Amino acid sequence: MDEDYFSIDAILAENQKVGCRFKVDIADMGHLGGGGERDITRSSTLQLPIWLVYTVVLSDWADMIIPPAFGSKVRNALKAEPCSVRLSSLVGAGGLWYGFGKTIMELLDKKDEMSEMLTNTFRKRLVEVIDQAQHFAALGPAGGVGPSGDSAQSFREGLDATERELFALAQEGSKRMKRWYEESEKGRR
Amino acid sequence: MSLPPSLRASVTPPELELIACQDLVEIIPLISMEKTAFISGAYGPLRPPHRAKIPIWMAVNLKQKKKCHIVAPVWLTVEYLQDKLVQETTQAEFTKLPFRFAEISRVLLDVAADDLQNADKLRTLLKDLREARQAKARKGLEGLEHSTLGLSNLSAMEINEIRPFFIQATAVLGHLRPGA
Repeated sequence: MDEDYFSIDAILAENQKVGCRFKVDIADMGHLGGGGERDITRSSTLQLPIWLVYTVVLSDWADMIIPPAFGSKVRNALKAEPCSVRLSSLVGAGGLWYGFGKTIMELLDKKDEMSEMLTNTFRKRLVEVIDQAQHFAALGPAGGVGPSGDSAQSFREGLDATERELFALAQEGSKRMKRWYEESEKGRR
Repeated sequence: MSLPPSLRASVTPPELELIACQDLVEIIPLISMEKTAFISGAYGPLRPPHRAKIPIWMAVNLKQKKKCHIVAPVWLTVEYLQDKLVQETTQAEFTKLPFRFAEISRVLLDVAADDLQNADKLRTLLKDLREARQAKARKGLEGLEHSTLGLSNLSAMEINEIRPFFIQATAVLGHLRPGA
């Protein structure tokens, strides 16, 4: 989730393609689109990897099309109920929705709106993430099945990698506390 | 770092307990002992039946050998905790309790339950307090921001429990700001 050159998370977050609509003709570069055309023609749309999008957008050769993971449909769903959106299915398994969003945000002129959406989503979902993590820590090793119904399970499956990490941290913390309380109850002295 | 991942995020509850055992507690000794120098300072002399203040780890050791009675700290009584519990459940903020109350109460209830009045009631009260405070910490999570967090009067054990994911979550929030 950071811009460190060596950050694996940052590399994974950028492992996405973004649609770009070209504003100019570019000769002999048609192979970038994977098609048979020789040239890139004006107003054609190509899926480009993010590292290339930076250059193309900043040089004003093309306009970025907001990826569907952050499009108006997802935006509205998040506004309605952040916890019911499956972020992981928006960016693929092990995907970093927030990291990807951050990257897209940096390419936009209006950063505030995007930032607000990401922050609000993260905040609203965080409480649920921690609640479930603590619930699972309390179950202990034997109770592997989550009893709290379909919506909870679907929420867990929809966590993005950033939230998964938080889930694991919270669960580990609660487990340690529980162990400490129980250990002393058994009378180790 | 050479530490295993589980130890990197924060200290463990047993480590906190060790630290808390440096705090002083009053005892009524059943043996006499001259003033003795330890690394952390000199304690004693112990002259029964006069009270003395010694570190908890030492009191625990003496207690196990039945060589002292531990005097309960002022806050480890049913009335005091009941009072705190009422405050805890009626006020929005955390009530002020000793910073290491969780560790100390646990240790004392383990070794010196017979020196405390109404130990079982104390246990239930402490558990209720813990649960009430946990609910509040969860509320604090909802108001989490990238730069500040206002949860005063949190105890050592509680801070330690929420530390790993609070740090991570604030880092993410900071990262999601425009231009960060």
